[in-house]
Amino acid sequence: MKKAARAIIVLAFLVRPGLSAVPSQESATPGSLPFSFQEFRLRNGLRVILSEDPRLPLVTVAVGYSAGTLREKPEQEGLAFLLENLMFQGSENIGPLQHIAFVQKVGGELNAVTSPDKALFYETLPSNQLALALWLESDRMKSLVITPAAIERTRTDLIKEHGDRVMSDPDLETFSQFDLLLFPDWLYGHPLIGPGIANLVEADIAEFHRTYYVPNNAVLCIVGNIDIAKTRELVARYFDSIPPGPDSPFPSRPVFRRENDAVVRFSLLPAGSAGFHMGFRFFPLQPGDASSLRILEYVLLEGETSRLRSRVLRRDLTARYLTGALDERPSIATLKIFCLTTNADLVSRSEKGILAEIDKLRANAVSQDELTKARRRFVTDYFNRLSTNLGKARFLVDAVFAGKGLDTLGGELADVLSVSPQALVAFSRRYFIPQNRVVLEFGPR
Amino acid sequence: MRRQAPRQRTAWSAVRWTLAAGIVALGLAVPAGAQERFRRTPPLPDAQRLELKLPPVETFVLANGLTVATARRPESSVVTLQLVIRAGEADSPPDRPGLAAMTARMIGKGTKMLSADYIEDMIESIGAEISVAVFMDYTVLTINVLDEFLDRAIYILRLITIEAEFNERELGAIRRTAFWELYEKKKDPEVLGWRQLLSVLFEGHPYRIATYSEDVIKFITPRDVATFYNRFYRPANAAVLVSGNIDGPAVAQKVGSHFGAWSGLPSDRTAPPPPSPNDRERVCYVEVPDSPAATVFAGNVIMGSSGPDFFPFLVLKQILGGTTRSRLFMNLRESKGYAIYAFSEMEVFGSCGVYWVRALVRPEFLVPAMREIAGEIGALAAGPSIPSEIEEAKSYLVGSLPMRFESPAGFADWMARYVALGLDKGQWDRGPEEVKLVNAERVRETARKFLSARPVVVIVGRPEWLGAYLGELDAIEVYDTAGQLKQTFRKGEGR
Repeated sequence: MKKAARAIIVLAFLVRPGLSAVPSQESATPGSLPFSFQEFRLRNGLRVILSEDPRLPLVTVAVGYSAGTLREKPEQEGLAFLLENLMFQGSENIGPLQHIAFVQKVGGELNAVTSPDKALFYETLPSNQLALALWLESDRMKSLVITPAAIERTRTDLIKEHGDRVMSDPDLETFSQFDLLLFPDWLYGHPLIGPGIANLVEADIAEFHRTYYVPNNAVLCIVGNIDIAKTRELVARYFDSIPPGPDSPFPSRPVFRRENDAVVRFSLLPAGSAGFHMGFRFFPLQPGDASSLRILEYVLLEGETSRLRSRVLRRDLTARYLTGALDERPSIATLKIFCLTTNADLVSRSEKGILAEIDKLRANAVSQDELTKARRRFVTDYFNRLSTNLGKARFLVDAVFAGKGLDTLGGELADVLSVSPQALVAFSRRYFIPQNRVVLEFGPR
Repeated sequence: MRRQAPRQRTAWSAVRWTLAAGIVALGLAVPAGAQERFRRTPPLPDAQRLELKLPPVETFVLANGLTVATARRPESSVVTLQLVIRAGEADSPPDRPGLAAMTARMIGKGTKMLSADYIEDMIESIGAEISVAVFMDYTVLTINVLDEFLDRAIYILRLITIEAEFNERELGAIRRTAFWELYEKKKDPEVLGWRQLLSVLFEGHPYRIATYSEDVIKFITPRDVATFYNRFYRPANAAVLVSGNIDGPAVAQKVGSHFGAWSGLPSDRTAPPPPSPNDRERVCYVEVPDSPAATVFAGNVIMGSSGPDFFPFLVLKQILGGTTRSRLFMNLRESKGYAIYAFSEMEVFGSCGVYWVRALVRPEFLVPAMREIAGEIGALAAGPSIPSEIEEAKSYLVGSLPMRFESPAGFADWMARYVALGLDKGQWDRGPEEVKLVNAERVRETARKFLSARPVVVIVGRPEWLGAYLGELDAIEVYDTAGQLKQTFRKGEGR
């Protein structure tokens, strides 16, 4: 072991990997973000973002691949998720599950997540172990080992875990069903794991990996207590010699048609209690709409005095739980509301209460006080989100996959804070219409 | 030993040809089919590990006995303001479980002059919200706020704390919310297992009060809340903590000017003495229909956090089941295939703590899994740990510690615990040094001291698994999801 270690040190002096990195682009530090970053590309197309934060002896390494569920074809539901899990099953120099072991051994934490637009892998570990994280991530980018045994074992585990989750939380299945209604196209509506996963063959998986798990389809983001120059050398050392894959244009964005509202009254889905999902689709979005939507989310749903929570949980007392969130995807955004209550009558009354509040947004301007409250809360959450290395890394990677220019990120907060009451009324009138509304009720009648 | 899946190269060889072709096309230095030598082994860490440096906690005590503690984090845009009350779940009267939590949630729900709606609007108008956390020995109310609104937040905190008033309308709303929260929690086998474990380990002890279910809170009245408040919400029993980009002395002065008029004698609270550890075989079974797998808890009472055994026990807990490389996971999942996961945890309260094993077990392997868990605990108590295991556990603990302090919320949680439990500096910024000092002998002594007693075992699973898989156990106490004993099965009796 000592011999091997010495060899690495010697190699580090003989080969200056940083010299082979060719930055194709370097952005100026964006002024209005609460942190700075640098961006460049390696010759193989890997996009690299570095951000220095010396507060604590920690570093987060995040690698995102444009390999989310949007890349799946019909009958392949679950392929992206399966491959995310196979990324922990070993590569040329790292045994099955050893990636986790290496990170945990030094006190690090790691995880991965598959969303429609990407598969994201990340680890946070002591900053003197940055090279370890890059070694691990580069090895599985370069030489993932996909074996029939690993496929079968991983697939079986995923199907069983999914079944167990559905069994222990009967409301869970309603979320998948709601997405199918809200996004009436297969590409956006299909679930993370579906029946197609059982039929996937090794060739499908290898093809998916070969096409999408390549440097020119990925973003590497490193945030933490790093020395930028040394980090660039390390990045070049571990990633520069990984060959690029084929170009993979982003899947064409679906075109939605506006039809009648889709209301499913008391589906036969098994559920633990009575409740409903209500959603609104927003498309095609105009410039400035995203900012209006973010403020509206806070006016409607964030905080005990927000309109919808106040209405159904405090004033009408028709619900026992209410939550909601924005789901923004290329070419469409949605607002999802989830409400639990106790019986069919209260479901109906809660829906009416929510719709009445939304109608008010169409009729009257939000007061300056209410707008100020929403803005301040948004700012607090914004800074909280960016308070950790991982928060910053995800913010940057999310922006890349959303197709945003990183140089525009600094202006986003100002855009949200400049939304006017008139803009909110205009937005509400344009989008909060029955044809954009989807409701799925569930539970005992 | 970990089971190594055989490395099959079928798919890899195809990929490698593609990669090799790509490399040649690029004209890079790596020959086709070969790999750079540096990829073969993990790189060494940077020679010098950066040390964790936490900002000092400056503490002041006002004339009325209120503690004010500040910590400056210049990089933070959000300031965390907290009120700590040195009374928690264990201080609820025996006939009023949940009273500590209900009282804490009533803070901000009205004063002599202001309604709950008005107060909520005041708080949210500065972009903040109040969150409440009730622990065994203390309670924390937290407000996260942008630094420009800190003065206003301190004013609001004073108002809702000192002038709190409790009415039936607001208490009714909180009872409803708390009822549904507790009702939903009962769907989680881990919550049920943890609750049952505490209930057995702390039988006849004040800490048992924390194991209440949703049905008991309906008896709590505004008068109960007022009585609890008057007894414990007193300046000498409280602390106000502020962390963020602040000027500590100036902020402490502001807190003093707002809270200086808060009056009240010191509270008569003392931390309850620790109970004796369990030392008899005891298996509890909580019946939950439709459980996909069996959740197993096994644990016992240990020391608190202020004694010399705390850091050695941290290392011990890590060796037993801290990560997927630890003994429990490697044995129960990787080697035997009995469990989906198996980890160990610990929690420390005012005067004692609890360690426990938490495992998700395939029901048909319940009995052998329990044997293995007992075997792993027993092995640590009886014999020495391998030096490399100790070093790895220490490396994990030292490496992971900074993550706890990264977010404003994580930092504030730690600071609240430090102040509320009156911990020494070892718990604040000397943790890594304390961990590094732990040696094999200290681990062995601590294991002998705390792991020799027989742990209580709690299983959460389907009713039918009792007869199908647990027939060979001598005795099993069977409980419902509310924690009520239904019956005790003995070996040889029908199940």
